[in-house]
Amino acid sequence: MCTAVAGIALAGRGKRVGILDLDLQGASTHVFLGVHPGLPKEDKGILPIPVLDNLHLMSVAAFTGELPLALRGAEVSEALRELLAVTQWGTLDYLFIDMPPGIGDEVLDLARLIPHMEAIVVSTPSQVSVAVVERLLAVLGEMHIAVPGVIANMVRESAESVKDLARRCGVTFAGEVQYEPGIESAVGAPGALGRTGAATALLLALEMMRFSPAPIIRGIPRRGGTG
Amino acid sequence: MHEWALADAVIEATAAALEGRDPACLRAVNVLIGELQAIDREIFDFALTTLREERPFRGARYKLETEPAVFLCAACGREWSLQESASLTPETREAIHFLPEAAHAFVRCPSCGSPDFRVQKGRGVSISSLELSVDGTST
Repeated sequence: MCTAVAGIALAGRGKRVGILDLDLQGASTHVFLGVHPGLPKEDKGILPIPVLDNLHLMSVAAFTGELPLALRGAEVSEALRELLAVTQWGTLDYLFIDMPPGIGDEVLDLARLIPHMEAIVVSTPSQVSVAVVERLLAVLGEMHIAVPGVIANMVRESAESVKDLARRCGVTFAGEVQYEPGIESAVGAPGALGRTGAATALLLALEMMRFSPAPIIRGIPRRGGTG
Repeated sequence: MHEWALADAVIEATAAALEGRDPACLRAVNVLIGELQAIDREIFDFALTTLREERPFRGARYKLETEPAVFLCAACGREWSLQESASLTPETREAIHFLPEAAHAFVRCPSCGSPDFRVQKGRGVSISSLELSVDGTST
């Protein structure tokens, strides 16, 4: 959700935005954006799907529709490389890559293929989410991937657990997105999504990260461990 | 065209492989094209010719060979070909042409129906070998 809404919000500010949905087995960005892509057009590569004048999407859904796509590790890597290699984005101000949860092939491949990328990390305030995300931040640090900030999503009462996480890991807490019951009804309508509280919050978070130096995390102390 | 992006990658791979060598030594490049890529060979060949016009190895021949697709079921061990797959529509073949892993959305094991299979052969475009002339002789 955050990727789609952030993309819409920035496009609404006149930025040229591309979104690459790399959650190959659970592609959903097209659902958020209300796009039912067919096979893409070609022009010395494949052209991303237009969502708005200055917002384009590339997703595996363009090739498989709503059919399930069961892939093993090496196949994920192959498909990821293919999409990265042949998509003709043109000139963009931002390319957002929406990643599946976890620390799998997608993260490891991108760290190798796009070492200068920056990882915007999202966590809910749940202690379960925080625990998992802390591991992700540790691995990103080991791979020297810059993290401009952590965003708390679906905040109902407090984002303190995510703020603590950011402090522990030495990264910027970039902001919080409140839980919004009405957002479900905006799914599929970029205009409506762009008017949500989430859009405003994400714009603020992006602006916060833009002016904040992006640290490369080193030596995150493990919970319960020494150091 | 999609073929152009792949041809560009082949030319760049050729240049990388020749690093440290005299590009004039290159006689031929053997390119293996996976059947799943469903490349239009005429367009691909034209793209290869055009894209290497400004390269020092422009005189080398590019020999194209198709590698037939072979699938292997992880559930029951059956191997089968693209031709043995349940009939694919032109649109699904086109989708697989763009992204070979899309085959996992459309193809099932003809024996047990499992979606858990591996593409053993026939995926991707690769340089299988370079033919070089060394000191006036071919290798």
